[in-house]
Amino acid sequence: MDFRERFAQHRKDGRYVAAALVLVLAFLTLIYYLIQRGRDLPSVLVTNKVLLFVLVYADALLILVILFVLARNMLRLWLERRQRALGARFKTKLVATYVGLSLVPVLLLFFYASELLQGSIDRWFSSSLRSVLEQSSAVAQSLQREIGDRNYREALRVARSLANVKLDEAESRAALTPRLAAWRDESGVAFLGVYLETDFLNAVVDPQSGLNDLPEVGRALLIEAAEKGRSNRVLLPAGGRGRLILSAAAGTAPSGTRRLVVVAGTLLDAVTSGQSEELIQSYQTYRQLQVQKRDFAASYWLMFVLVTLLILLASSWVGLFLARRLMLPIQALAEGTRRVASGDLDQRIDVPTDDEMATVVDSFNKMTEELRRNREEIERSHFDLVAVNRRLAEERALVGAILENLAAGVIALDPEDVVLSTNAAALDLLGQRETELVGRSLKEAWGGSERSRLALLIESAKDHPHQSSEVSLVLGGERRTFEVKVSDLRDGAGRNSGKIVVLEDLSDLIKAQKLAAWTEAARRIAHEIKNPLTPIRLAAERLRVKHREGDPAIGELLEESVVIIVREVGKMQALVDEFSRYARMPGPQLAATAIDGLVAEVVALYRDVKPGVAVRTALAPGLGEVWVDPEQLRRVLINLIDNALEATEAPGFVEIRGERLVDALGERLVLAVSDAGAGIAEEDREKLFLPFFSRKKRGTGMGLAIVQRIVSDHNGSIRVTDNLPHGAVFTIELPVR
Amino acid sequence: MAAWSRLMLLGLALAASSEPSIENLSVSVNGGQVLVGFHLTNGLDADTRERIASGLPTSFLYELELMRDRKHWWDHNVDATVIEVVAMYNAVTREYLVNTKQGGRLIESRTVRDEVELEHAMTEFAAFPAFNLESDPDRSRFLVRIRVDLGPGAVLGIIPYQRSTAWKESNKVRIRAVEP
Repeated sequence: MDFRERFAQHRKDGRYVAAALVLVLAFLTLIYYLIQRGRDLPSVLVTNKVLLFVLVYADALLILVILFVLARNMLRLWLERRQRALGARFKTKLVATYVGLSLVPVLLLFFYASELLQGSIDRWFSSSLRSVLEQSSAVAQSLQREIGDRNYREALRVARSLANVKLDEAESRAALTPRLAAWRDESGVAFLGVYLETDFLNAVVDPQSGLNDLPEVGRALLIEAAEKGRSNRVLLPAGGRGRLILSAAAGTAPSGTRRLVVVAGTLLDAVTSGQSEELIQSYQTYRQLQVQKRDFAASYWLMFVLVTLLILLASSWVGLFLARRLMLPIQALAEGTRRVASGDLDQRIDVPTDDEMATVVDSFNKMTEELRRNREEIERSHFDLVAVNRRLAEERALVGAILENLAAGVIALDPEDVVLSTNAAALDLLGQRETELVGRSLKEAWGGSERSRLALLIESAKDHPHQSSEVSLVLGGERRTFEVKVSDLRDGAGRNSGKIVVLEDLSDLIKAQKLAAWTEAARRIAHEIKNPLTPIRLAAERLRVKHREGDPAIGELLEESVVIIVREVGKMQALVDEFSRYARMPGPQLAATAIDGLVAEVVALYRDVKPGVAVRTALAPGLGEVWVDPEQLRRVLINLIDNALEATEAPGFVEIRGERLVDALGERLVLAVSDAGAGIAEEDREKLFLPFFSRKKRGTGMGLAIVQRIVSDHNGSIRVTDNLPHGAVFTIELPVR
Repeated sequence: MAAWSRLMLLGLALAASSEPSIENLSVSVNGGQVLVGFHLTNGLDADTRERIASGLPTSFLYELELMRDRKHWWDHNVDATVIEVVAMYNAVTREYLVNTKQGGRLIESRTVRDEVELEHAMTEFAAFPAFNLESDPDRSRFLVRIRVDLGPGAVLGIIPYQRSTAWKESNKVRIRAVEP
């Protein structure tokens, strides 16, 4: 059963409560009415044991009902607390408060009313009241007793007077009437009768007394008097006015067989007898009430108990009902909160209340709905994130696989130049294990070894990002040349988070290039040798033909052919000499050379050599002296300026710039010769420094090869770049020491 | 035996001796009538006397059962009757009216003038014709048992109960069949 059904059920209970309250009210009204009517009822009925029975068992039944209701609710609360049901503690407090609030005042009222009742009863049966009533009754009875005694004395006097009268004789009996009348008048009694035991003989009545007829003297009175000598009776006279007090006295009968009984009677008037009887009856009533005092008190006490129990039952039940009703939305909220806490966000409380709890319930439902929407949003985001993470993981795995399978070595560095990660190719190229590299700074990993030059190169790349450099290292006894490319590593926000170093082993490429260069050189040498050989062969063959023909002009032809052969051999000789010089080029004789002066000397050689093309210098101040072979450096400059002048059309200029550069690789001299010619085609740049490569109509193609050889012998480097917008720039870097 | 235990036994004996009981139960037969005589001792205690003196009607209910004796088994209840004696005091005439009813029918009404007569009238029964066996063909051994309801009492003053004596059984009497 859900909370809505339970609440609907309890709403119906509300009608039951109203009906029960109306019934209790009607019952209490009935009891009040009966109590009011009870005042007019005889005390015997009020203190009837049947009433006591009914009250006792009604009280017992109500006590049982109350105990059952309370015990049932207490047991339920105890079970709920034991099962740690939500809201059980609060409900217990609420029920205890309700029941306590109803119990305490009702019990206080009950005890106060009981004490009041007991006090009232004690006052009703106070000793002073009893004394008054008792004395009043005694006075009334003494009045009767005195009258009776007087009657008895008169009756006894008459009986003694008649002791010697023969009453069985007619004369005596006839004379009896006036004697009785005289005694009556003398004694003042209202009635005087003579009996022979139970047989009537004669009697007189005083008509002035109000007694209209002879009274019916009972046989019992006469018998008792005959037996005991005296007896008394109180009779209601004929006509019902007053009371007739009779006293009988026995005398001795003259015959001696039966006793003479004389009865004297005095009539109490209605007022006196009524008052007397009322006094006696009042005392009797008091005695009856006193006898029934305990039953009387018990009846009223039990009625109090009954009413108290009814109120207690009603208040306890209403208290329990209100507690349950109040707890329903609270329990629903607690249960809903527990379910929400356990993750059930579909929980919705539907308690039809219209009080402040409705606001709380409504807020709870809105909060739950909001939570549910947020959770769905989070779940969607989570799924998206998981998908993104999965994709990123796949991409990372792909990148990892690519990096691992990449021939080039890749090293990731943090901003402090600590190696974050590396691929297998880098470890293979550098001849190191991952543990020797990853997690260590470059200085720590490479310091004190040949690889420190690589570290210096990477350090210097800060100033020239995205530039590639070549470095040649001896690793494992083998010289290897690497192209090193350093790039900044930036995060999504564009912040610098380190560097990426790409190492490419150029050793095999250089070998191949050298092989290709030498192949090309061989091809060119062969070509250069073959060029003069053809005229030589043709001249020799024409001589042989003319000789066979016996041509007389053979002498001229011989002269002419010899000239050709000598000239072509001379060319070949020159070619061989040039090559020999290239091959036998001596090592540089290093000397402290003033670069400014050397450049100025060379530039002076080309002043006005080509009209319209100026040769100018832009040397940074303080170039100073550099340890170089001045002759070889002069030859380098001459070759480069020759080429530049030849490439530059007038008007134009050739510029020689010079500066000192200090960075992580050390201090270097940088000389650059730039022209404004057509520039170097991209496809020619790789072959530019090979022997016998030339695009010029004249020339051996050994100039730039010799230049590169000299620069290389000085542990320097040469590179060619475009001179924007036209021309080319040949840049030489030489270590200062 | 300790003094207190003697006192306790004495108290119990006194309490038992002051309890109402049926004494001198006798059964005789006159023709078909079963005549029962008995005496209720300690029937009129102080409370009862006070109640009577206050003028409240006070009654004793004598429950009589005629049983046929059966050996080795429970006796068979042949007949039962209730004798109700109601006493009421008139303080004006200072007389006690004592009415005796059997089965709800008034069979005697008399007036007595003192408590001795009153106690006698309420507690003494001599050859009271309680049962009539003329219609019963089986005249074997019979006995009469009797108990008196002395009116309601109250425990703690509020819980009513019926005060009564224990059942008293008579000797077994063989009743011969009446000759037609």
